[in-house]
Amino acid sequence: MLEEIQKLKDEATSALASLKSSDDAENFRLQYLSRKGALAQLFEKLKDVPKEKKPALGKSLNELRSFLENEFESSKNNLGGKAATSDGNIDLSIPGRKRYTGRKHPLTQTADEIKRIFTNIGFGIADGPEIEDDYHNFEALNFPPDHPARDMQDTFFVKSEEGKYVLRTHTSGVQVRVMEKNKPPVRVIMPGRVYRNEAISARSYCLFHQVEGLYVDKNVSLAELKGTIAYFAKEFFNEEAKLRFRPSYFPFTEPSAEVDVNCFVCGGKGCKICKYSGWLEIMGCGMVDPNVFKAVKYDENEVSGYAFGMGIERLALLRYGIDDIRLFFENDLRFLNQF
Amino acid sequence: MKISRKWLQQLVDLSGVKDEDIASRLTMLGIEVESYENFAARYDGFVVGAVLEVAKHPNADKLKLCKVDIGGETKSIVCGAPNVAAGQKVPVGLVGAKVPHNQHDPEGKPFQLTRAKIRGIESEGMICSANELGLGDDKSGIMVLDDAAAQGTPLSDYLGLNDTVFEISLTPNRADCLSHLGVARELVSAFSKKFIPRRIKITEDGASITESVKIEVAAQDLCPRYSARLIRKVKVGPSPKWLKGAVESVGIRSINNVVDATNYVMMELGQPLHAFDLNRIAGHKIIVRRPTEDETKFTTLDGKERNISPEMVMICDKEKIVAVGGVMGGMNSEISEDTTEVLIESANFNPSSIRRTSKALGLSTEASYRIERGVDPNLTIRALDRVSEIIAETSGGKLAPGIIDVAAMKFLPKRVELHVDHVNRLLGTRLATGEIIRVLESIEIPCDKKSETVLICSVPTFRGDIERDVDLIEEVGRVYGYEQITDSFQTKLNFDTRFRKSTVLDELRDLLAGAGFNEIMTNSLQSVDVAGFHEPSFVVLANPISEDMAAMRTTLLPGTLQTVGVNLAHGLKDMKLFEIGQVYRVIDEQQVVGRFLESAKISMALSGTADPMSFDRKESKFDIFDLKTEIERVLAFLKLDSWDFISYDTTKEYKQSLKLFVNGTELGLAGKVGKTALQKLSVDQDVYFAELDLTSLLALQKSTNRFRSLPKFPFASIDLSFIVNNQTPAADLMNTLRVAAGDMFRDISVFDIYSGEGIPDGKKSIAFSMVLGSEERTLNEGDIAGFIEKAEKTLKEKFSAELRKQKS
Ligand SMILES: [Zn+2]
Repeated sequence: MLEEIQKLKDEATSALASLKSSDDAENFRLQYLSRKGALAQLFEKLKDVPKEKKPALGKSLNELRSFLENEFESSKNNLGGKAATSDGNIDLSIPGRKRYTGRKHPLTQTADEIKRIFTNIGFGIADGPEIEDDYHNFEALNFPPDHPARDMQDTFFVKSEEGKYVLRTHTSGVQVRVMEKNKPPVRVIMPGRVYRNEAISARSYCLFHQVEGLYVDKNVSLAELKGTIAYFAKEFFNEEAKLRFRPSYFPFTEPSAEVDVNCFVCGGKGCKICKYSGWLEIMGCGMVDPNVFKAVKYDENEVSGYAFGMGIERLALLRYGIDDIRLFFENDLRFLNQF
Repeated sequence: MKISRKWLQQLVDLSGVKDEDIASRLTMLGIEVESYENFAARYDGFVVGAVLEVAKHPNADKLKLCKVDIGGETKSIVCGAPNVAAGQKVPVGLVGAKVPHNQHDPEGKPFQLTRAKIRGIESEGMICSANELGLGDDKSGIMVLDDAAAQGTPLSDYLGLNDTVFEISLTPNRADCLSHLGVARELVSAFSKKFIPRRIKITEDGASITESVKIEVAAQDLCPRYSARLIRKVKVGPSPKWLKGAVESVGIRSINNVVDATNYVMMELGQPLHAFDLNRIAGHKIIVRRPTEDETKFTTLDGKERNISPEMVMICDKEKIVAVGGVMGGMNSEISEDTTEVLIESANFNPSSIRRTSKALGLSTEASYRIERGVDPNLTIRALDRVSEIIAETSGGKLAPGIIDVAAMKFLPKRVELHVDHVNRLLGTRLATGEIIRVLESIEIPCDKKSETVLICSVPTFRGDIERDVDLIEEVGRVYGYEQITDSFQTKLNFDTRFRKSTVLDELRDLLAGAGFNEIMTNSLQSVDVAGFHEPSFVVLANPISEDMAAMRTTLLPGTLQTVGVNLAHGLKDMKLFEIGQVYRVIDEQQVVGRFLESAKISMALSGTADPMSFDRKESKFDIFDLKTEIERVLAFLKLDSWDFISYDTTKEYKQSLKLFVNGTELGLAGKVGKTALQKLSVDQDVYFAELDLTSLLALQKSTNRFRSLPKFPFASIDLSFIVNNQTPAADLMNTLRVAAGDMFRDISVFDIYSGEGIPDGKKSIAFSMVLGSEERTLNEGDIAGFIEKAEKTLKEKFSAELRKQKS
């Protein structure tokens, strides 16, 4: 019996290999796979074998059936392809029709990634106006009038007869707006477009995009700020990202720090990208200054908070190794299609 | 700001401290060192040599064999310079030294000296030209040094370049570090070093200053302290080498021994000083006051006449203004070669007043820069003594006894209370009281214990930036080291519904990217002409970078066309672009800020090939219907169920143009961009552009959806064609058919338009494909026939249309 199974397998296989047309295929089906075919006849014979041999033989027969059915299907399909070539003379090696492949702007993609990371750890998202009043852009953030800290950012002023308005130099004004309208605790990031009155060059553009973060609650500490930023850096860059917190100064935070990440181009040894320091500056941050809390009528003895701000362009430049910020705003498709 | 290591070393003992450690510790203390250069290292291996004898090279006419004493050792050096001679002192590079500039290399790259045979004779070094040392252009021969130079002296010492200069970038709060003294204080703390004790040596001589000079401070609000000293019998001349070298090392031009001394002390201690020629001060009296109404012009030291205004502070004599206080002196009292009596001003001015003056005059000086940021009011006397010491030494002057010191008050240390638990709460640390005291005292802030956990800190007057306990906490964190604070990350996940933002814009971006669009981002500044062309009340900047960026954009069109132009210039002709961005205008009603209305727009642009040519299809270019497809894609995505396009042809920039109306409100424009607009941006192919008012569309967006059960009965589709007048719009016919179908209506589209043979002149045949259905049953032939009859009748009445063909 086993020999018969093997014999049928060999015969059928060679018959499959010689199929040339759909008529051949139909003949094959009738001969081997139909209700009266060779395979069915073998199943018929199974009735007469001794009981103890039935399971093993039955298994072999079932295997043969599925083998033949599969082989038959694929041979039939190949037949179809060949037939079409000969019939319609279509060359299937011709590539598909060209269509547009759209992409989101690399700055959108970078902002999306930053938003994803922070919303995952409980941050909400808020936004505010780009044309801002002096109060929200400066004064409430502890930049007194006639203070040299105002020189840290070259400001565009709006012509207006009724007040002092600027194109916001940072998204920090949204911090103030969020706190004015909401009681603590608050935990938000604030992405948006900001402006600086600087000559346009490979390193600076008249506008860029920022993501600002704010967390105000009971007992928020610098240690917590460090931990949060470390989490962000590992998510955004990689698990190996090392950070350095360097004391700095921003009027609206005290203490303040500048955050550097170890240069991933040279691994910290020093290269052109990191100006031979081994570190790349990625953001500014600090603990919310009590004067800001006073301005938004939060009780500085009850709550504390941290704030941070990063430039999306800066992060995208580092992430993709882009060397000219103007590329983001030229919208050259050869550039946009790379991301 | 430049800080010299040599200079620092006069103040603090830095023995054993490496340059790189100074740079990194300062940076980690918040005093950012951007770069530093060690000039001594540049001349490693170069010494002063004395040429003992010069002989001819046996194998080359132009070469000479020199014996050079480099300090107890004689080297034999081959030299090709024509001017080398016995008895000269010369710069010698020894084997291993790196010559900064190779004058035989076109790029002048440095090279290292090796032991080499030149025409068969070994040379143990090289006598260099000024050019090779990077000290000038002269390459005609070797550089000849002073006869007095001692052989063996390192060349960097001889040149006075044995120094490292640090380039420091300071944040505006750290005015105290705008001097070598301030930076030295940080280093004392960072490296647990000590200040080098030094007393200023001055001798007073002659009549007291008060007999020669009177000082009156009328504007004490603007000038809380004015101190002065007088030096007689001064001989103004060039500065000695050390003084010139010192001021030049930190980037200040050397002028003369008096002016250099004042600048030197400013760089050393941080106190701006000004020297007047007393004999040019009328009545020998200084009055500090605001200018009178008549005083509107003043010529500053730089020779420029400046407009002054009544709120500024002026230094005057009995007749005239002699200086703009805290900013710059005047030409009329300047130190000159004839000056013999020098009055030194050491004053403290109101920082915001000086800042306003400096801004108004457009004049920022080393002095105004420091005063704006705050100078220690208790520094005036020390600075006067120090500058007197130097002027007496370098100009032979005699210091008049006494100081005139007009002060509004005593300037005492601020006392600030600091709670240890506040420090630890804000920093997230567990610092002990003793540790906090140690840290603060290392930066000269003494602390008294009010209790075991409360400190009273005395903040010295040079730290004007420290006023509150948080300022002290920052100092503790900074000096203790942020790196020493252990990270903590215990985010509690209480998601806050107040800040849940709609993600519809993100989804819209995904939709359009999926539909083959590239997202672009363009400048939100544009020219006044462009902004005003599209919207009469636009936002104008008071201080634009340039004319073409003087207003806030009112439309996304120019940015998009510019993008099309850029890509065409690169040979990319096919594009689908979109942008989501703000436009800005001024309206009558009060907004969040002023009367500025910011609203979001979405733009879409199609240009070039819609469907490229392929082996079996013809190429098709984008047209207005492709644009309508895309607009309708957005509207359908926002789940709007009805809209109208009204065509019109009056706009200035579109040729085939449409206005989009939703619920009766105009919410967008679409069309083929006109020639003029295209030419302005050198675009030479058709651009189809749409700009929709996204803010309003989002407001109309249908947010909640109710499920409608799926149709139980199959739909029927029928084709109808009508002959109508050429001018009859398809949309009107379609609307009429929709109404005629009533509840049965499911869908309609145009599948053919034809005129020509078989169709009367002035007429066209237009064919529609309609889908009809019912909720209750499968439509039968009677239902369809009934509809066709009704449609034919209505269209005939309304449009004189004739039913041409039908198929169902
Ligand atoms: Zn690097």
